[in-house]
Amino acid sequence: MSVAVCDLAFSYGRRPVLRGVGFTAERGELLCVLGPNGVGKSTLFGCILGLLSPSGGEVLVDGRRVEGIPARELARKLAYVPQSHAPTFNYSVSDMVLMGTTARVGGISSPGAEHIRAAARSMERVGISHLAERGYMRISGGERQLTLIARALAQRADIIIMDEPTANLDYGNQLRVLKCVKELAREGLAVIQSTHNPDHAFLFADKALALRDGRVAAFGPPDEAITEELIASLYGVHVRLCRTEGGATRCEPII
Amino acid sequence: MIFLFTLVIAGILVSLTIGRYPMSPAQVFSALRARAAEFLRLPIPSAGAALTDQMRALFFNARLPRILLSCLVGCCLSAAGASYQGVFQNPMASPDILGASSGAAVGAALAILLELDARMVMLFAFGTSLMTIAAVMLISGAAQGNRLLRIVLAGIMASSLCNAGTSFIKLVADPNNILPEISYWLMGSLAKTRPDALAFAAVPMALGLAPLLMLRWRINILTLSDEEARTLGVNAGAVRAAVIVCATLVTAASVSVSGLIGWVGLMAPHLARKLVGNNYRHLMPASMLTGALFLLVVDNVSRNLLLTEIPIGILTAVVGAPFFIWLISRKKESI
Repeated sequence: MSVAVCDLAFSYGRRPVLRGVGFTAERGELLCVLGPNGVGKSTLFGCILGLLSPSGGEVLVDGRRVEGIPARELARKLAYVPQSHAPTFNYSVSDMVLMGTTARVGGISSPGAEHIRAAARSMERVGISHLAERGYMRISGGERQLTLIARALAQRADIIIMDEPTANLDYGNQLRVLKCVKELAREGLAVIQSTHNPDHAFLFADKALALRDGRVAAFGPPDEAITEELIASLYGVHVRLCRTEGGATRCEPII
Repeated sequence: MIFLFTLVIAGILVSLTIGRYPMSPAQVFSALRARAAEFLRLPIPSAGAALTDQMRALFFNARLPRILLSCLVGCCLSAAGASYQGVFQNPMASPDILGASSGAAVGAALAILLELDARMVMLFAFGTSLMTIAAVMLISGAAQGNRLLRIVLAGIMASSLCNAGTSFIKLVADPNNILPEISYWLMGSLAKTRPDALAFAAVPMALGLAPLLMLRWRINILTLSDEEARTLGVNAGAVRAAVIVCATLVTAASVSVSGLIGWVGLMAPHLARKLVGNNYRHLMPASMLTGALFLLVVDNVSRNLLLTEIPIGILTAVVGAPFFIWLISRKKESI
């Protein structure tokens, strides 16, 4: 199970967004995608998920071009965790998670006992079983994010794509969500997530991918890929990278 | 759900006994049993509490079909309302959102203007209703921009065009006999129900309701964004199109036999949401049953409250508006 992005290009009309983007993500890996707002992180995810058609290059899931895989089959390989949102109707948390099983439910039937068990397991896995009967619109942002992660787990895909899973979360929830994501990668899933915080990449990621002007600015293990110069060129701010006593790397902004 | 179903059956049985000419439960039962025996070619049981021939004719040609039709129409309008609410991600959507009702109205008005018989009025209404929706889908397919928004906008345009047509027909209609008949049709009524109306409507209704029941889990997915639906393995465009076609079919079939009955399609699904929640797996059957029960009760009031019939469309609005205000102003339970 792997995702390979080869020489990917994408443009909205005449405006090129992505050019020559290439990288791979394997099972058991957590890949963090860094880059300033509007650099094309969401566009990249759209291409990987088969929602957008690239103007050049290709995305391979298990060696097959993603455009050629029917939605139902793709959903069994690739799950997507959007930023927590407010749907039109207030579903219970357990119903929301159960929706993840849809790709494994017959076209004209409803989820059965087996799918309900799978949904219950994935809620337990991310620690939200106690929320099962609560309304999705009545829980906190962090709990919603965990619900969407549980939904992706119920989908039983091997690759999970997450669009800024920690956006709009408080400090504690950010760390809880990231810890959960890290554990999922340890258990053998491939996780690709976008983030705005380089420290998250240092803390949790196995690989970091930095995008600048629609191109790959750096790719590799976070300690090697992320440098002071890279952050200055990505975000236009200056930081100093420090070593902690435990030997980990952290950003310290120079203000 | 079983409770709702039992309630509908009980409602039908009670309704059968009440009316201008009251019949006892025993009489109703023996008449039904005699008809069933006749149908199955069994010896006709000796009737203990038989109805007169006249009463029997009334029962089988007017009361029974009318009661069944009120349930079916309520069921269909409510199912269509629930479906549209889901696929348009809009809790305020109702069966006439795409112009199915306005389309049926112009066809019915035209048929009445041409002094065609009741069956042709039904056929005209059904035909123009489907044509209107086909036009709406074609226009929205050609238009640019947000898909959901342009379908709804095309529906609003088609509705207002059809309303203009209906108004024009009313203007040129003979005010002594044709115009009142058109107005009466537009108010919605089940008073003229005959057995053939039931037979006419039942087929498209069944053809539409069955797929809606089968696709009900997937309607949940459609209430999310299309991109999200796709990543969950659902082709949103195709499922949405199928749901719209089915919901429109049952709406057109209902409106063509009953005239314009408002509010059911908005209110019954919301009542069902309060009862079983928003998951369409339970919501769809619950909406159907709630709609059937609601229209059955309202039609009973319509035919029994006053000596002259009150058109049911007026009653549903009278009952529906305050009920809806109560429903939306109730404190939200904090779950």
